[in-house]
Amino acid sequence: MSDKIDLRFGSNDVRLSPREWVIALAIILAVLGLAPLVWPFVEPLHIEPDHRLPFRLGNDYYTYGRLCRAAAAQGRTLVVGDSVVWGHYVPKEETLSAHLNRLDGREDFANLGVDGIHPAAMLGLMDHYGHAIRNRNVVLHCNLLWTGSARHDLSTEKEFAFNHPTLVPQFSPRIPCYREPFGERLGIVIERRLPFHAWKKHLQIAWFSGSDLASWTLEHPYDCPVEAVTLQLPSPNEPPSPRPDARPWTEQGITKQGFAWVELDTSLQWRFFRETVELLRGRGNRLFVLVGPFNEHMLTDDSRQVYADRKQVVEDWLKANGIPHFLPDPLPSALYADASHPLAEGYKLLAKQIFDNAAFIRFTHSEKGTP
Amino acid sequence: MLFHTWVFAVFFLIVYPVHLATRHTRLKLPWLLFASYVFYGWWNPLYLLLIITSTSADYLAVLGMSHSRRKKPWVALSVVINLGMLGFFKYAGFVTRSLNDLFAALGVPYAVPVPDILLPVGISFFVFQSMTYTIDCYRGQMDEEPNFIRYATYVSLFPQLVAGPIERSTNLLRQLRETPKITRHDVADGLSLFLVGLFKKRALADYLALYVDHAYARPDQFDGLALLLATVAFGWQIYFDFSGYTDMARGLGRMMGLRIMLNFNNPYLATGLGDFWRRWHISLSTWFKDYVYLPLGGNRKGEARTYVNMALTMVISGLWHGASWTFVIWGGLHALGRVATRKLEMTRFYIEQIPTAVKRLLVFAFVTFAWIFFRARTVGDAWLIVRRIFGAAWADPRFPLLALGLLAAVWAYQWIYESRLRGALLGSAPVRIALAVFMALYVAGCCGAADKAFIYFQF
Repeated sequence: MSDKIDLRFGSNDVRLSPREWVIALAIILAVLGLAPLVWPFVEPLHIEPDHRLPFRLGNDYYTYGRLCRAAAAQGRTLVVGDSVVWGHYVPKEETLSAHLNRLDGREDFANLGVDGIHPAAMLGLMDHYGHAIRNRNVVLHCNLLWTGSARHDLSTEKEFAFNHPTLVPQFSPRIPCYREPFGERLGIVIERRLPFHAWKKHLQIAWFSGSDLASWTLEHPYDCPVEAVTLQLPSPNEPPSPRPDARPWTEQGITKQGFAWVELDTSLQWRFFRETVELLRGRGNRLFVLVGPFNEHMLTDDSRQVYADRKQVVEDWLKANGIPHFLPDPLPSALYADASHPLAEGYKLLAKQIFDNAAFIRFTHSEKGTP
Repeated sequence: MLFHTWVFAVFFLIVYPVHLATRHTRLKLPWLLFASYVFYGWWNPLYLLLIITSTSADYLAVLGMSHSRRKKPWVALSVVINLGMLGFFKYAGFVTRSLNDLFAALGVPYAVPVPDILLPVGISFFVFQSMTYTIDCYRGQMDEEPNFIRYATYVSLFPQLVAGPIERSTNLLRQLRETPKITRHDVADGLSLFLVGLFKKRALADYLALYVDHAYARPDQFDGLALLLATVAFGWQIYFDFSGYTDMARGLGRMMGLRIMLNFNNPYLATGLGDFWRRWHISLSTWFKDYVYLPLGGNRKGEARTYVNMALTMVISGLWHGASWTFVIWGGLHALGRVATRKLEMTRFYIEQIPTAVKRLLVFAFVTFAWIFFRARTVGDAWLIVRRIFGAAWADPRFPLLALGLLAAVWAYQWIYESRLRGALLGSAPVRIALAVFMALYVAGCCGAADKAFIYFQF
């Protein structure tokens, strides 16, 4: 038998006593807890007129949370939704909220849209990063495009990568096309409850091209990471990448399409939308739901009929739940860039329709939470 | 289940309190065994069949030994079952591929079908650990363990199950017979070890892996200096990766009231190759010494035989690491190194005249050179890397300065740790606290995704 088994404590240890561990843990927890709170003092968020989440920060939920806090603090009405609200094809001055502000004559509507988000992710976004908007007036956009096929609805069994996977429910309800291993999902569930993690992701997205520090140094081997943190966040008017073709859909070569609409009874995205409504109402938000306007000109006759049925189901549910809402008529065909995104003139027309809607007028006159 | 993932954190947060509550009761061992099987089965529940087979074979072999006058057949049975399992899962593909290469070289128009077998994680570790018990009992160095649950817990104990240290029954099994005493100092010590291990793995090994993987995936696209730096980086990567795992394993064991053996002792501060192998993967080195080198005759059968035994042990050790000729060459290089330097390392000239720093650098250079064969995907790749390091032009390697800084800091730290300055550095509580805070925050804030498995899991 070899020499006596070596049970020494360590060979290059940093051995702390219990008391030292208490001090170390206190410091570690303080830094982890305080960093996300103190950071806004270091990195100012300059809210411009008609501000929106900069495109490059589309996955930066920490900044989204800061935008929510800033908008809520000003007592504004928050327009929440996907890229239709964000304004994928238009500059920030031509978005829905910008046109509503113009009609209103003041900066009352805040664009809290996120490019690339969908109802399943919106539920997570509101649940984990949207606390600041509680008790505020919210215009929530309902885009039935997300029920336009099993793939859009995330109810297909075929696995594919979709946007914002860390925001969707990880375990229940089951999303058939989402096949992350159990451990990954558990990690996501834990990490999205840690403000430090969102802050760390913010630093990575804003300053390190979305990479962690280690990977970033491989691309920038001789650069100083501290110098990369310039504290100048990207402009909210920075166009999406790749730059979208902001021409009417008919000029882009898009033809009429028959959508394989999912039954709303079984639709996951419709379920997540309803859960988002319930979540916001549970937080004291006064809601106004805007359904569409979908580009019905792009639909084949059969598909348009199914869409009309779906719209009716949505309206019935909103009525049954006493939620003020508006289902605008379709905009002229030339004012759409694709199936659901209006062009600048489309937003202008839509804002006008909304502003003339009696339910909306009542909604805007309802009591707002105090800033 | 990897130590540095959330799923393990949740697992441990469930297992540990129950362990604390049951450690004085009869439930202690069943709970630890259950937890260990959950831990191992997490990769693939079918793997559990292997570990149960190995455990049962050795338990029954020792039982058979104690009820029989002839012990040899029982120990032989254990060795055949364990090595048979290891051979099938680890070496079947290698052997058939090598045979086919030989047939092709000889012009034989026949190819043996190559089995497509998935290597169960950690099989080389638990098979060796289990076999140790049978051999020790056979030699009369260990008494029979009557309790199957205790024995199964010894073989599968989750902190050190998949990548060692390869524990001896004389240490770990005996500890499992007692009620573990767990004080707050044990918890603090365990946390200290775990944190250092976590830092080594996440901040250093995984970081260096980014550069190494890149360079070793396409060595033909990198020039000499980049490949040299990648090789040096790999030397540190594998050390941080493996010793980081060991530190975490030992830390978890400590928190659970178990003393797991030291497996690494600053190997890159070794002043000779013999010294290196006393510091690197100590549990495996001593295993091969006790169960291969000494049974072959050790140094008791003359000088020539000593060298043969030494070389054989090193080559087998190389093959243990992986079923590939690159590992055989790696073991062969170390065998050559040991044979060539054994006498030299014992001379007064070497011990007294050559400065320690020079000896350390020479050992590091040799070990690093040998790592080329360990890391390269094929022997051809390894030769290409060697040729390019010594023959190709050296251009800007684009090696991150941050990585260089971290390596320099760690090297300096280890140097200080083994010097008289250690007390000055680590004797101060604020320094210890600052180091712990730095490591924890660096891991939390600066590291990438915790998805890289440990290198030694593949062995």
